[in-house]
Amino acid sequence: MSSVAASSLPDSSAATKSPRPVLQLVDVRKVFDGFAAVDGISLDIEEGEFVTIVGPSGSGKTTLLRMLAGLESPSEGYITLRGELINDVPSNRRPTCLVFQSLALFPHMTVGDNIEFPLRVRKMAPEERRKRALELMAKVRLPEDYYAKNVMLCSGGEKQRVALARAFAYDPDVLFFDEPLSALDYKLKKLLEKELKDLHRESGKTFVYITHSLEEAMVMSDRIGVMRAGKVVQIGTPEEIYSTPADRFVAEFFGEVNIVPIRRAEGGWVRRDGKPVAVASGVSIDGDEANVVIRPEYMRFVTHEAGADNTLSGTIFNEYSLGSRLQYQVRSRTGRTFLVEVPRAAAWKGDGEVTIGWDAGNAIVVGG
Amino acid sequence: MQTVGRTRTHFLIRAWTTFVVLAIYLPIACGALAGLSKGRYFAFPIRIFSTEWWGKTWDSLEIHVLVQNSVLIALIVTVLSVLFAFFGALAFARYPWKGRRAFQRLLLLPIFFPQPVLGLALLLWFNALGISPTWKTAVVAHLVWIVPVVTLVIAIQVFSFDPVLEEAASDLGASRLFTLRTVTLPILWPGIWSGALFAFLLSWGNFPLSLYTAGADSTIPKWLYSKMVAGYTPMVPALGTMSTLTAAALLLGGGLIRLLLRRRAELREREG
Repeated sequence: MSSVAASSLPDSSAATKSPRPVLQLVDVRKVFDGFAAVDGISLDIEEGEFVTIVGPSGSGKTTLLRMLAGLESPSEGYITLRGELINDVPSNRRPTCLVFQSLALFPHMTVGDNIEFPLRVRKMAPEERRKRALELMAKVRLPEDYYAKNVMLCSGGEKQRVALARAFAYDPDVLFFDEPLSALDYKLKKLLEKELKDLHRESGKTFVYITHSLEEAMVMSDRIGVMRAGKVVQIGTPEEIYSTPADRFVAEFFGEVNIVPIRRAEGGWVRRDGKPVAVASGVSIDGDEANVVIRPEYMRFVTHEAGADNTLSGTIFNEYSLGSRLQYQVRSRTGRTFLVEVPRAAAWKGDGEVTIGWDAGNAIVVGG
Repeated sequence: MQTVGRTRTHFLIRAWTTFVVLAIYLPIACGALAGLSKGRYFAFPIRIFSTEWWGKTWDSLEIHVLVQNSVLIALIVTVLSVLFAFFGALAFARYPWKGRRAFQRLLLLPIFFPQPVLGLALLLWFNALGISPTWKTAVVAHLVWIVPVVTLVIAIQVFSFDPVLEEAASDLGASRLFTLRTVTLPILWPGIWSGALFAFLLSWGNFPLSLYTAGADSTIPKWLYSKMVAGYTPMVPALGTMSTLTAAALLLGGGLIRLLLRRRAELREREG
């Protein structure tokens, strides 16, 4: 799992791409008491891919994952694994494994017994089991003497590793993760994200991960799907999702953004105050209303020396330090709040009355 | 200030607990003393102490039959009630289902129903069915009252059981039976164990239900009562004391076994 080990292994995620997706969802719906938690999702997951489904709580991502793992069966639609329909195949007959949010470690067992559980199910000989468990422990960086440790005496990070080793012991084709890192502190989380990414590359297995944290998704994923109200709003590479969000929801989900509502007028687009808006060429929007999305780092202070395609004036009313960067909150004349983020070296030195602006090429136009 | 307050608190705790323990154990001690009297009749103060009645009780064939009956009834009640109560507790605390709340309330009610009335009702019921009461009907009567209690005891453990563990086991390939054997039962084991002890002791000490439903067969509490009413000998307190000591030994033994099991697990852990 160290970088040395990772580089000595072939990048199997790229090498084993098959023409047929390992997991395929066709119009999958799950209805609970008349409420569609998952409302028609179609999705192909390729062999060896790391796909993350992101969405706010209640968007149906956990239900989706539970259906993939066989803990719920879909109300409608099809789920196939390597071309085989698995809608009603129970979880213990699926070559998939879920790492639960709570990890679901067996509290009455040692670390070793937890990891060996799937091997015991397969009636592997005790000696062989132990050998395999110790191998897996090394793989997830658990010290060997933890083998006989009571699993409940392990720290949060160690428990993560035990859960991971146990899932790998099952040797599944696809691993599912239900926000397993959400309870950890920031530093540990960052470390485990990277380790998980390394494990994914080394093992060549398909990972499907769900989280509400876009940051987490960006670090690890080959592709990210954004879910909202039971539907996948957009799916694409982290870069695609970041730079060309499908709509305002996706744009806002990816962190702090400035939104300027615009409408179609004769000869172009105008803001609410009637001022014309410069929009990058090639942008095509259906309908007469849209939003311009500008990330805070693309918003800047406009001076005589440095102009911008679009400008507006306002007053600075807050200033935050983000470490290497500074963020300003600016209230416009119309009472809207805008975020401007600049490198520390470019701190605003003038008074509170400012003109801010953005270039058309740095803004994204999304539908209403 | 704080130390003074704490010292006073500690004093009050000690005084209170001492009072409670004395209030509970003094009558039992008096009963035990009564069995050690040489005299034929129940009188205080005891003039001459002797273990004569203990010996007689120990050797009495009648008492042997009583103890046999009581043990047999208690053992069967323990096994059956744990079996019933285990699945009842799962329904009570594990699975969400329509009518669960009603089940929870209904289950509690019989515990508050006066046992003599329950015993009489059961006796009438056995008569109506044409079953003559013996120790076997007493088992049924005990179950009616003890199953709800044991269900509650086990349900407390089930409430703290995380159902996700069963899902995880299944997800790792385990069948339902394998999951029950390796995950669910071991985790619920302390609750089941407590439930079994409760069942045994409640049956062992039960008088009102046995009085009505055991027919000609006698149990220890039943015999004690009948001898108190007519034909008292110091065998009554002697047997009462022995019965209490047996129950205490059982509780102690249960605790000891659990301690040993934990020790063994810890030892295994340390050895790796």
